[in-house]
Amino acid sequence: MRILIIEDERKTAAYLRKGLTENGFVVDITNDGDEGLFFATTHEYDLIILDVMLPERDGWSIIAEIRRGGKQTPVLFLTARDSVHDRVRGLELGADDYLVKPFSFSELLARVRAILRRGPTRQPEILRIADMEINLLRHKAIRGGQHLDLTPKEFTLLSLLVQRAGEVLSRTMIAEQVWDMNFDSDTNVVDVAIRRLRRKADDPFEKKLIHTIRGVGYVLEER
Amino acid sequence: MSSKSDENTIEHKDRLNLNYWSITRRLTFLYTLSASGILVIATVSLYWVLINNLEKEDNQFIVNKIQVLRVILQERPDNLGALEEEVKWEGAALRFTKYYARVLDEGKHTLIETPGMGNIIPVSLFPAPSGVTENPKNGIKQRSRDGRTYLLMAAWAEVGHLNGKKQLLQAALDVSPENTLIAEYRRKLSFVLILGILCSAAAGFLVAKKGMQPLEEITETVQRITSTRLNERIGMMQWPRELVSLATAFDNMLERLEDSFIRLSQFSADLAHELRTPINNLMGEAEVALSRARTPEEYRQVLESSLEEYTRLSHMIDSLLFLARAESAEAKIERVLFDTLKEIESVREFHNVIAEEQGIEITCHGNGLLKADPILFRRAISNLLSNALQYTPQRGRITISVKQSSDDQSVEVSVSDTGSGIEPEHLARIFDRFYRDDRSRSQYPKGTGLGFAIVKSIMDMHGGTVVIQSEPNKGSTVTLRFPSAN
Repeated sequence: MRILIIEDERKTAAYLRKGLTENGFVVDITNDGDEGLFFATTHEYDLIILDVMLPERDGWSIIAEIRRGGKQTPVLFLTARDSVHDRVRGLELGADDYLVKPFSFSELLARVRAILRRGPTRQPEILRIADMEINLLRHKAIRGGQHLDLTPKEFTLLSLLVQRAGEVLSRTMIAEQVWDMNFDSDTNVVDVAIRRLRRKADDPFEKKLIHTIRGVGYVLEER
Repeated sequence: MSSKSDENTIEHKDRLNLNYWSITRRLTFLYTLSASGILVIATVSLYWVLINNLEKEDNQFIVNKIQVLRVILQERPDNLGALEEEVKWEGAALRFTKYYARVLDEGKHTLIETPGMGNIIPVSLFPAPSGVTENPKNGIKQRSRDGRTYLLMAAWAEVGHLNGKKQLLQAALDVSPENTLIAEYRRKLSFVLILGILCSAAAGFLVAKKGMQPLEEITETVQRITSTRLNERIGMMQWPRELVSLATAFDNMLERLEDSFIRLSQFSADLAHELRTPINNLMGEAEVALSRARTPEEYRQVLESSLEEYTRLSHMIDSLLFLARAESAEAKIERVLFDTLKEIESVREFHNVIAEEQGIEITCHGNGLLKADPILFRRAISNLLSNALQYTPQRGRITISVKQSSDDQSVEVSVSDTGSGIEPEHLARIFDRFYRDDRSRSQYPKGTGLGFAIVKSIMDMHGGTVVIQSEPNKGSTVTLRFPSAN
């Protein structure tokens, strides 16, 4: 998967390249708008990460040019300005998503994956990882042959982690996906919920699947 | 450039439009205008009365003379001496005015006249005579051959009694000196008039200036007020009654300004303070970590700790941006009609994870439909619940109740807890940004102190209110009141 990053802030560009490369993407970077437009129109990318405020040529005009040239490459906007007007404008110009700085890298990664995953993909009904099995249709979780007694929300949380196995999920994202709380809140509900889920799904077993990434969030994976 | 042309336009308008004049100028202008009006009316009527009186007197004089001659001719038609005396010598007897008289027969031949009259005032100059029995009409003024102006009058007179004989009487009075006098009077009068107008303009200007003095004083006082001296008030000074309400209104504005100014500087100070702690942690940890070689595990711990601080900062920025946007004019909310209890229930479910852990029971009751922004509504309820959970001890209770007013005009949502309550001195400022009492800082170091401020701004966006009641050691109740969306 090739990603083009058009971002004039060098530190941002550098850590994005590093993070994305480590997650298996091939990344090109350019620091100014004209060059970015050139790359975007002459090369094939799966995704363009575009900063709005750029020297020479801003993100709006770049996406407009790309779309005028007939390219439908997905675009993820990054911006430090957070107004509804900007958001609407970006989406109207054909952006696929929009992230406001400061954002967490895990959030960006999740969005990138979501954009690339879009399209007709069918979720399997039964997910398996290690000795755990989740039946999404029948709302059942089994581990080591044992039935896990989970509340509905706990089941939703566990299936989210399993569906995104190996992906670090931020607290904000978990709260949004499981409880539909799509705003920042300074409670530690997610931590408590994970703790309770662990008590049922991880603690009785020798092999731990749910891991804390301190300062970032949680990930379910076989280690 | 453009500002200069603007000035020009304004100056141009200035000259044309009374509304753009200064008040002093306006008052002076209007005062002078009315004073001049009065002066002109007064002088013109005085002048008119004088002229009228003089003319009346002159006419009366000639009429008298004609009556005398008529009497002489009628009563003593043969006494030529008396007639001669009256016609020839009466004019010479007058010292300052010249008077001439003439008697003619019916064929308009002069019978007798004041000496010299024939040369100066010919017979033909006189107006048509009035009849024998008529009172003589007012005379006419004519300039004669000697360059003087005479008032002329003519009348028929009966000679003797009832014999049908009549003679023509002509009398003339020199009015030139009077005309000179009147011209002189006119000149003086216009001089007085102009002087009067000038004086009234000057007086008007002084009066207006004096009248405007308090306004200038109030302006000067206001100009002395700067951001560092916002505590000054102008209301206690002695102002004329008209300015008292202005001064009071101005003081009220100052009051509000000072209040928001204090809040703003308090906010900046608090913001700096709130930023200082995480940044201090970040700097310190990084410095210590870099001061000598560490194991990868140690570096990892520093990075993880930094990330926590960054998250906190980022969270703070989000909240502040939310508050700033809420205050700006572009803050628009999407109102949707929803079942209040259902939304509350979903927020409760989220926080219930913690409540169960702490053995706190959250109950919801009541019902009502609300037209509001559902995301903002959830956020407000979530902040209140999160706060209540912080301060409610184990086995405490939190109650959320919804009340719809009987007239459907408003919906009240209140969140009560059996927690530790808030001291009265903190209640007033609890909705200020970053405001936290010391207990909150120590018990709950991760909080930003923005939760209540956000609740308040969400209520402001909805045009609603938020009220908090609290009793230390008994608990607090926060009531959100949403007005009807219409």
